[in-house]
Order: sequence, then structure tokens, then C-alpha cells
Amino acid sequence: MNAVVELVGSSKTFGAGRAATVALQGIDLSIGVGEFVSLIGPSGCGKSTLLRLIGDLIPATSGEVRVNGKPAAQARRGREYGIVFQAPVLMDWRTVDRNVELPLEISGVPRAERRARAAAMLKLVELADFGGRYPWQLSGGMQQRVAIARALATDPALLLMDEPFGALDEMTRERLNLELMRIWRSTGTTVVFVTHSIPEAVFLSGRVVVMSARPGRVTRVVDIDLPQPRTAETRNQERYFELVTTVRAALRAGGADAAAAEAEGLGTEPADAERIVAEGLA
Amino acid sequence: MPGLAVGADEGGHSRAVRMALVAAVLVAVVLIWEGAKWLGGDPWRLHNTLFGIRIDYEHTPPFHWPIASDIALPHIWVILAAFVLPYQRFGDPAWLVLLEAALYTFREALVGFVLGALLGLGLGIVFVRSRLLERAFMPYVVASQAVPLITIAPIIVIFFGNAWTSVALISAYLTFFPVTVSALRGLRAADPRAFEYFRSTAASERQMLTKLRLPAAVPYLFVAFRISAAAAVVGAIIGELPNGLQQGVGGLILQSSQYYVTGPERLWATVIAAALLGLACVGAVALAERLLTRGRYRTVSA
Repeated sequence: MNAVVELVGSSKTFGAGRAATVALQGIDLSIGVGEFVSLIGPSGCGKSTLLRLIGDLIPATSGEVRVNGKPAAQARRGREYGIVFQAPVLMDWRTVDRNVELPLEISGVPRAERRARAAAMLKLVELADFGGRYPWQLSGGMQQRVAIARALATDPALLLMDEPFGALDEMTRERLNLELMRIWRSTGTTVVFVTHSIPEAVFLSGRVVVMSARPGRVTRVVDIDLPQPRTAETRNQERYFELVTTVRAALRAGGADAAAAEAEGLGTEPADAERIVAEGLA
Repeated sequence: MPGLAVGADEGGHSRAVRMALVAAVLVAVVLIWEGAKWLGGDPWRLHNTLFGIRIDYEHTPPFHWPIASDIALPHIWVILAAFVLPYQRFGDPAWLVLLEAALYTFREALVGFVLGALLGLGLGIVFVRSRLLERAFMPYVVASQAVPLITIAPIIVIFFGNAWTSVALISAYLTFFPVTVSALRGLRAADPRAFEYFRSTAASERQMLTKLRLPAAVPYLFVAFRISAAAAVVGAIIGELPNGLQQGVGGLILQSSQYYVTGPERLWATVIAAALLGLACVGAVALAERLLTRGRYRTVSA
């Protein structure tokens, strides 16, 4: 058993009774050690909700969510993952290095070790000279790199990223994508990455999980067979464009399915769901 | 723009312009004050020799307004002179008496402020932890401030006897309310995503309080501390009245109002001293705020 993340028939319903909204239905997904997996889909498809189920930030309504072979709640209490949100969510009153130290402080790591660890993490995200600054003195991209350093400070087996570069401009985003690839290679951490950008998902991932909305579900998993390491050159490859087209088509098909299902008052096709299970567990 | 101390002026006025505005208001008050006396005050004369020139000037105002009389509204220069003249016959100059009284009242207010701030912060923390307790107790906290202090003060004096302690408690009574309200707001003010982040790190309730809620509440607390600093002085002065404490500003206000007819300028000088004391306390809080939060916090409007 070397799945870092494992979801079996996981569903999430918000509210109850008439007002109930099914955010996620019957999600089956397995992510192995060291994988980089993106979740992509239209807004409202529950990709962020799915990430929050994995992180036990919200409980699943039904089904099973396991991280490192343990129930998600236990993994969270064991501080087995790091998380990066769309906004940096840094503490304004702490300097950059004290922000990176925060999760270590919470888990009771001695001061000297914290300092050393924070310094190493800031070096990893190439912000070694900015430890003494306050977050507001940094650009948005730099703040997000601090958030990545903070998430990696505890050396977690799993890194959850919720549209971490969604608020940044295209050029910064591409640069940070390259940097994230470099960090991922050097740490070997398993990454679950939520995005709504097709090129970003293709460039970064080993697998792209395509989702659709109402109810949120996985419609297809696209294997990204681009060679490692991914560099700026990767974006010029023929195969890269083909895969972008494939993912786009999968997204469109998912959207069409959902529209058709809605029109006919039907749910997800069982055949489709079975195929996803097969693919997800492959 | 983040990183500015709370309450720092962002209107683009320089320090010099702000000082000039404050000075302009002061000049306007003096002009209106003396203008009213010129038009409707008591007649006066200047009868003196200055640089060898004989001045003999007499002014009789055209109207007669009781409110502008020398008893109700002494001349500005008479009030200023009262600071230099003895407060009591053959006693120390008034400024020294007032300074000593202000320091005495300041000590009471300081203890009251600290007690009130701790109580307010404590209540805020308890209420943030428990909605149930907040719902149960908040109406009483609000009601406590609806009761006129002047009726509560004697009751506290009867309860606690010791004059000094009861004055500090009366001061704390006025202090705790703004702190409770602001603490409650500030402790909930952190970014909801920051709470999510702390949950992801499996932080304990206590860590969430000390590392997230309290630091995020600091700008809100300082807004309350500034209000409370003035309130603590008012509380201490009012507290001195039913106690018969003679050493503080409240005692002097009582004394100078009893002998008002023989020297109205003394009451005015005492009132000015009380205002300056309040101003100094608020200034001290603002200074502490600036030193503690400079460059770290976004601006919070009161």
C-alpha cells in the first residue's frame, strides 16, 4: 500500500433537506508516493472541496478519505501534510522567517532547529535574503513562495495546493510553475494541485483529474506523459499542445455530459463512473 | 495600504499642517471667548505704565450677558495667571498643586485602566470561546454602561470602603466596556482562511488564541485602549468625588467649585489640568501603539 491519498466513494453534501447541495459525489481517487496530480474543472465542480476533504478541513458526508493509510482526520492531527491557499494567508505581524517557523512552533520544534529549518526553506524558494522583511513588503509572487516554504517546513509527505498561483499574473505564474517543479523534484513530496488553468495543469502534472459540476465528480483522468524534468522547453513540445487539447476536450465533454444529464433529469452515467474508478486506481 | 500604524493619518497632511490646524482651533476658541466678553462681559480697565508710557484704557461692553461675566467666563489671561498664583492662600503655585493632583489621579486611573483592560480582554476571550456565555452575559455588560456612573460610584465606595481601591475600581468600570467590545470584534477579525490554515496544522485552541486571535486583535484593542485611557481618567475623577479624596484632580474640582465665587479661574485651571491629563494618557497609549505595531499592521478604522 503506497498510496498517499486514497478516496473511496467520497461524497460531500452541504446543507440538508431541500437546500442540500451535492458538492461531490462518489469520488474514487488514489494518488501514489511522489506523484504530482492536478484537479481541474469548471467553478463549482468541487475541486477545492475535494482538496479540503483530503486535508480534513471539512468532513466527508460519506465514503472514505485516507492519507498515508490513515483516516484524513488522524493524518491532519499528525501534521502529515502542508497546505498552500490561493491567497498567501501569511501573518502580517510576523516577519517572513517567523511565518515559515509558524507550523514548527505549533508542533513544538525547539527554537534553534526552527530557525535552521526556516532558513533552509527560504533558501529552497530563493528568498534567503528576505527573512527579516514583513509580508507586505513582498510582491504577491514572493508572498506565495513564502507560503510554499511554510507548507514544506514540516517536511510533509503531502503538499496540498489550492489554486496557489490563481491570483498572479501570467508571467509570474509561469516562473513559479518552473520553480515549483524544481522544488518538487528536490523534495520528492506528493502534490495535489487544484487549478482552473489547463496549461498549468498539463505542465506540472503526472496526471490531470478532470472534474465536472452539479454534482461534482471525476469525469476523466488524463495521464501526462511529458518527459521529466519539466523545463521552459516543455511548453514548446508538440506533445504538450496535444495534451492541452486532450484536457480541454475532456473538460468540454464533462460539461456537455452534465448539461445533458441536467436536461434529462438523470445522474452520472454508471459506466463512466466505473471507468474513472479503474483509471484512478491504475 | 498595509503596514501603517493604526490611526495614522492617511489624509496626506504633513505633521506641520496638522499642528497648525490644532493651533488654529485653539486661536478660534480664544477669539470667540474673548469676543463674547468684549461684547457682553464685565467692564474692565487697563491702568499701568509700560516702557515709560502711561496706559489708561477703559472698556465698557455694549451688552450685558450673564454668561460672559467674569464669574461665568473669566478672562483667558486670568485663567493662565491662576496657574502661577497660589492655589490656596500662602500655598504652592497652582501649577505645582495641579501637577501633584494630576499624578495622584493618574496612578488611580492607571490601576483602573489596567484592571479594566484585563477584565475586558478576559471577557472578550471567554465570549469568543463560548457563544452561550456571550449571549447570557453580553446584555448585562451593555446594561452596566447604561447606568449613570455617578449613581454606581457611591455604591462601590460603600462596598469597598478603602477610598483608593474604590476609585481604581470605578475607573476600571468605565474602562472595561470598550475593551470588551473591541476584543470581541478583534478576536474574530482574523482572515477566515488563516483559521483554516491553523486547522490544517492541528493547532490547539490555546495556540489559535495566542498565535492568531490575539495578534490579529491588537489593532482593535488599541482603538479601545485609546478610548479607555480617557475614560479611565474620567472614572478616577468621578470616583474621587463621593470619597472625599482631597489629593486628586477630583478633590480639587470639588474644592474649587465650592469656592467658585471667590476665584472662578481656579476651577477653570483645574478643568484644563484634567483635560491635559486625559490627553496625556491617550497620547501615551498612541505612542505605545506606534512603537508596538509600526510596520506590521494594516489600518483599522475605529
